[in-house]
Amino acid sequence: MIKKFIIMACIASFFSSCVVVKEYGKVNINDPDMILADKKSERYITTFHSYREAAVGANGGKTGGGCGCN
Amino acid sequence: MKIKHLRIIPVLLFAALGYAQEQPQDYKKRVLETTEVDFLSSYYSQDGNNAAVSGGIGTEELTDFTATLVISIPLNDDDVLSIDAGVSAYTSASSSNVDPFDGGQAADPFIASSGSSKADTWANLTGVYSHSSEDRNDIWTAKLSVSSEYDYFSAGVGGSYTKLFNEKNTELSINGNAYIDTWNVIYPSELRPFENGREGLSNSLFTQNTITGNSNYNPSFTEIDNDGRNSYSLGFGFSQILSPKLQGSLLLDFVQQDGLLSTPFQRVYFSDVADSFIDNFQLADDIERLPDSRFKVAVGGRLNYYIDETFTVRTYYRYYFDDWGITSHTASVEVPIKITDKFTLYPSYRFYNQTAADYFAPYEQHLSTSEYYTSDYDLSKYNANQFGIGVTYTDIFTKFHIWKIGLKSIDLKFNQYDRDSGLSASIISAGFKFVMD
Repeated sequence: MIKKFIIMACIASFFSSCVVVKEYGKVNINDPDMILADKKSERYITTFHSYREAAVGANGGKTGGGCGCN
Repeated sequence: MKIKHLRIIPVLLFAALGYAQEQPQDYKKRVLETTEVDFLSSYYSQDGNNAAVSGGIGTEELTDFTATLVISIPLNDDDVLSIDAGVSAYTSASSSNVDPFDGGQAADPFIASSGSSKADTWANLTGVYSHSSEDRNDIWTAKLSVSSEYDYFSAGVGGSYTKLFNEKNTELSINGNAYIDTWNVIYPSELRPFENGREGLSNSLFTQNTITGNSNYNPSFTEIDNDGRNSYSLGFGFSQILSPKLQGSLLLDFVQQDGLLSTPFQRVYFSDVADSFIDNFQLADDIERLPDSRFKVAVGGRLNYYIDETFTVRTYYRYYFDDWGITSHTASVEVPIKITDKFTLYPSYRFYNQTAADYFAPYEQHLSTSEYYTSDYDLSKYNANQFGIGVTYTDIFTKFHIWKIGLKSIDLKFNQYDRDSGLSASIISAGFKFVMD
């Protein structure tokens, strides 16, 4: 119950804190290091994680295909 | 006279500006201005003593070299085609022990064999077509992929739709993928004589070698009747700019897999079956057996904060669970540090843990009466720590040229990964981005 409340509170605060940032105000948001994804050159790291670890998904990486058996 | 002429100039400029503002806006920024080429490469190495091929004991030494070329071509103002072609060549000590009885030396799970399974090449080709709407608020993609290695073939199809709104402060996306895979089933060499209709203990492997321990080797082995594996995923994404310096995203992925989800050349040893050996190598009691379906759920989030012109903080968290009994937490933080206008450092740390699958037990701890069993330590309980350092060189003016291609950036990264169960790995990755003039 407490866990659910914390999750809901986090989601609610995430939405409620939204402000509209105009295009001219996005100079920092548009910095290449602010991108909400891994760099292309990090794809091999994500691939090796998907081979060696059980967890996959929710990171923009591949979620299937290939045996990952070596 | 000259001064009079000069006075006319500002008048003309204002007139031109007014004229320009009245004209319909026929200029549209292209989604991708020019063709981009990414050359990516990595070198990976690992070692450990819990090889799944030899039932949870034995060398896990493996090296892998990968090279990939990604070409992104703007087809017009709105459409981009990306072609992604890659190869990966690996050598694996544990895979070499699919057949440890190559005659070169005494068979041993901790020593690599010289058999043909010690190395393989993986090749992949992926094409992605992307279309953006006139206002750039709607983006569709379609993807086709194929990959192949000696014992495996995979074909994939996928697509996504992204909607931006709230002055591009909010983004919602949905994506789906399907992979249809086929195994070329390979069993451990000592089990092949026990396939249907074959000679069993009369095979030359047993007549030319001495079986020690239980000399009446009689594995409970039946062949696999399904060589296909299908994976279907459905993902949802939501991202939001929270302030001029803060943005975050939430991701939710569902994955359903069906078919042959075990690896046919991974051995299992039972505690209630007498052990048989050739040289120092224990003969398999059976291969790994796992259910033919698996459902996975992953929910994750990213939060990035721009501190100032020098520092940025990038964070990530993911919770994962599946119906094989595994739950997992992943958390990472990276702090890019701009040391000059061209160089940025990327120190990073990542923590990962998982519980064991219901079907996992270490070497010689399974019972032959169980329905499912594996000694693959990738499905065991463990914690892992990963430390990384990277550096990026960026030249927005692309001064360095090779023919008509200018170098835009170079990424180099090193990561060290250690599990508390003993596996240790390191990976060096590099990325070179070029743009066409």
